[in-house]
Amino acid sequence: MDLSYLWTGFSVALSPMNIVIGFVGCFLGTMIGALPAIGPINGIALLLPIAYTMGLPAESTMILLAGIYSGAEYGGRISSILLNVPGDAGAVMTALDGNPLARQGRAGEALMISGLSSFVGGILGVVGLTFFAPLLSGLAVGFGPAEYFVLMIFAFVTLGSMVGSQPVKTLIGCVIGLMLATVGLDATSGAYRFTFDEPELGDGIEFVVLVIGLFSISEAMLMLEHQASGGSVIRIAGRTFARWADIVRCTGATLRGSVIGFVVGVLPGTGASVASAVSYTTEKRISDRDGTFGKGDVRGLAAPEAANNATAAGAFVPMLTLGVPGSGTTAVMLGALMLYNIQPGPQLFAERPELVGGLIASLYIGNVLLLIMNLPLVSLFSRVLTLPNWILVPGILVLSIVGVYSTHASMLSILMMLGIGVVGWLLRKLGFDMAPIILGFVLGRVMEVNLRNALAISGGDLSILFQSSISIVLWIMAAAVAVLPFVLSWRARQVRAAAPQVP
Amino acid sequence: MTTSTGPRGAVRSDRVGAVVLFALAVLYGLDASRISYSFSSDPLGPRVFPLILAGVLALLSLIYFFRPGGSEPWPKGRLLASSIAVPGLVLVATILMEPLGFALAVTLLVTGVGRIFGASWRLALISGAVQAALWFVLFRYLLEVYLPGGSVFGF
Repeated sequence: MDLSYLWTGFSVALSPMNIVIGFVGCFLGTMIGALPAIGPINGIALLLPIAYTMGLPAESTMILLAGIYSGAEYGGRISSILLNVPGDAGAVMTALDGNPLARQGRAGEALMISGLSSFVGGILGVVGLTFFAPLLSGLAVGFGPAEYFVLMIFAFVTLGSMVGSQPVKTLIGCVIGLMLATVGLDATSGAYRFTFDEPELGDGIEFVVLVIGLFSISEAMLMLEHQASGGSVIRIAGRTFARWADIVRCTGATLRGSVIGFVVGVLPGTGASVASAVSYTTEKRISDRDGTFGKGDVRGLAAPEAANNATAAGAFVPMLTLGVPGSGTTAVMLGALMLYNIQPGPQLFAERPELVGGLIASLYIGNVLLLIMNLPLVSLFSRVLTLPNWILVPGILVLSIVGVYSTHASMLSILMMLGIGVVGWLLRKLGFDMAPIILGFVLGRVMEVNLRNALAISGGDLSILFQSSISIVLWIMAAAVAVLPFVLSWRARQVRAAAPQVP
Repeated sequence: MTTSTGPRGAVRSDRVGAVVLFALAVLYGLDASRISYSFSSDPLGPRVFPLILAGVLALLSLIYFFRPGGSEPWPKGRLLASSIAVPGLVLVATILMEPLGFALAVTLLVTGVGRIFGASWRLALISGAVQAALWFVLFRYLLEVYLPGGSVFGF
């Protein structure tokens, strides 16, 4: 296998500037993750426009954002364990056993064990990314417009069937995102669509405006209601070094969590929240013989932490090779690449080895940096937990204004940011997730262009969508993923019916 | 059959949401059918994809209408007013940035939002002044990011 891209990448990632940028990303990421209310996607949304307007080259911006992403997956455990308030959905499972451990006075040990399994998950995920990504991009070179279109269908079906408890809401989110992407000039025909004669809308809805509205304005509004439920921070007391026996006991859980996390990460659209939930329930089924899960079992802590870090790496696989993000956060990063006029796809490995390689190499470096930062400095990061919302939220809002203003200095973009933020808040109150909207938005143009190109090739004959073996396999996979939830719930009912009644 | 386990109010807001989304699908579809173009190099043209999306959204919002559930209760009274005030203050601060300058507008925003999030006047004002200075120095001198300028303080 040709891994020369990786060596190019290390020479990029090890340049002094990129090492500093990677370090800053990891540090900020851990802080963002440790903040009780916000997670990786909010952090990236806030810092992306600033990195862009600072004039950083594309690979440095990617290194910064990747550092924030992996850092936030490490940092998320801190608020879950010490405060029992997860920063984002991916850290929810960490709290189940992490917080009980902290209550037993074993906070230091819990942080170290979860830090170690984060590291193992992160590194295994990057190794998987290193070998799997070139393979997939080799396969994807054979994709034509028809295959791409079917791939997008597969991505949305996977999203609908795996993310969130209500598939309808997830799918509606995707469609809203796709609709937002149709606004503006249609390149093929020169027609203006849904612009309401507003010249600024001719280029479409600005990505930065959308992302900041959805992930920062609506978040700030929501934090107002959720702030009353804050608990108290548990102090790190007792031993800070984990027992060797506990580390050994976690090995299996960590390795299983890493594999599950990576696979879920590779699936389009499904990120850390799905991965950590699947790995926790799997581990509980395999290891929980004495009913200790949920009461402070180190294995219940190690599995989801390994999983959510492996997911962060796995999610880059489809993003870099197919241009289909593997998680909500990589969807935002894909939008960032588009700001630089880079369209990810199988050609990216050949055309921009310094970008792909630099990003992947920075993930190796970043995970080592993060392990070093997160073991001895964990008490420093845990101070972030006491940062009151009356300081944090105004800060987020200032960053939002500066971010939007610095990329598109116009009053209309601020108004749109606020409008999108309020609509996002309404949707979130109704139980909608914001990530599918972003996913639909970044995939919208590609999906439409590929559909139209495919039909241009066939002269309008729809059967081109079912012709190649790749498309047929993708259709079958989409159908399988669509019926999977029904099969699982049917089986669960069968098992429940067959099981003896336990009082 | 409804899958909802929540209170009746939640079901109602789900239903309202579904109706609004259906209306959006219809309006979007109508606007899509009116897209004017003289020539397109592909057989589909610029109308069909949006029309498909309109159809899918209409269908999904119908499903949503008949299977509601999962929405949160709405904030009431003061909390609702505060929620709306957050984007409101952002708007006011942005409008004031041109005449007042970045630093003053940010002081106002941080103080106001700080008050909404429960800080005392004293702490909110201190936080406002400190954050304004910090963000200004960070963006203007360290990161060299373009800031909306004003005339009064020469920023």
